[in-house]
Amino acid sequence: MTAYDPCAHCEEMMQQYMDRVLTDAERVEAEAHLNECSYCRKRYRFEVKLRQFVHQTVIEPMPVELKRRLANLRTPLE
Amino acid sequence: MSETTREPDARRIATDARDRVRFEEDALALSDQVYRVARHLVGSREEAEDLMQETYARAFRSWRSFQPGTNLRAWLLRILTNLNIDRGRRQQRTPDTQPLEEGDYFLYNKLEASSDGSGDEERIVQRLSQNDVVEALSEVPHDFRDVVVLVDIGDFTYADAAQILDIPIGTVMSRLHRGRRILKQAMAESAAGGEAA
Repeated sequence: MTAYDPCAHCEEMMQQYMDRVLTDAERVEAEAHLNECSYCRKRYRFEVKLRQFVHQTVIEPMPVELKRRLANLRTPLE
Repeated sequence: MSETTREPDARRIATDARDRVRFEEDALALSDQVYRVARHLVGSREEAEDLMQETYARAFRSWRSFQPGTNLRAWLLRILTNLNIDRGRRQQRTPDTQPLEEGDYFLYNKLEASSDGSGDEERIVQRLSQNDVVEALSEVPHDFRDVVVLVDIGDFTYADAAQILDIPIGTVMSRLHRGRRILKQAMAESAAGGEAA
């Protein structure tokens, strides 16, 4: 039998914790572990920064010309 | 008599035209947000532009099937993802038997191991370039990428992503879980490749 590894469990729950979809009991458990474990806390802070970075870095502004072409698809006013 | 029947008709036509104009304006106001997602569902900017035009042309044609008060951005994205599938842009099917990818801590561990150990989390993230992220995202297989792009870039909920892609919410969760790990693995490889170059 494999011994329970709280950090491995925390790693498994991390994304759902960040997505705020854990049950109350799971969230309390995750927070308690993050409070006491600097190894997981560092990784949690990294994941938060990483998500922000990915979110911002992939934004490519829509070409103005495309915007104009979309506007031209509107139904002409009679 | 004819006056009284024509009048409601005229009113209905006017109301219809007003609703349509409002719909088109609302849809256009969301185009930046729709494009942000579209751009990463397909491989190139040209494809994304074509897809956007097809999506808006179809949306304007079938505007009556949109239920006012529901999520217009999700409705537009549903048209867009359907068109993307119809156009055969997603030939790649991901076999279920792929080897298990690394865990969630993999990217941090990799980046930390190659740093001098003095950086905080912010500085460790900054070891990634924009190119690392964009390149890594394009390497995630379509089924997983669709979900990651909708949730992590488009800010859709699991339920919205499930509706847009017409898959069960449990499938959204499992693809997201796996897709994010594949993405991080690809970012780690991309970052390591960049350093070696």
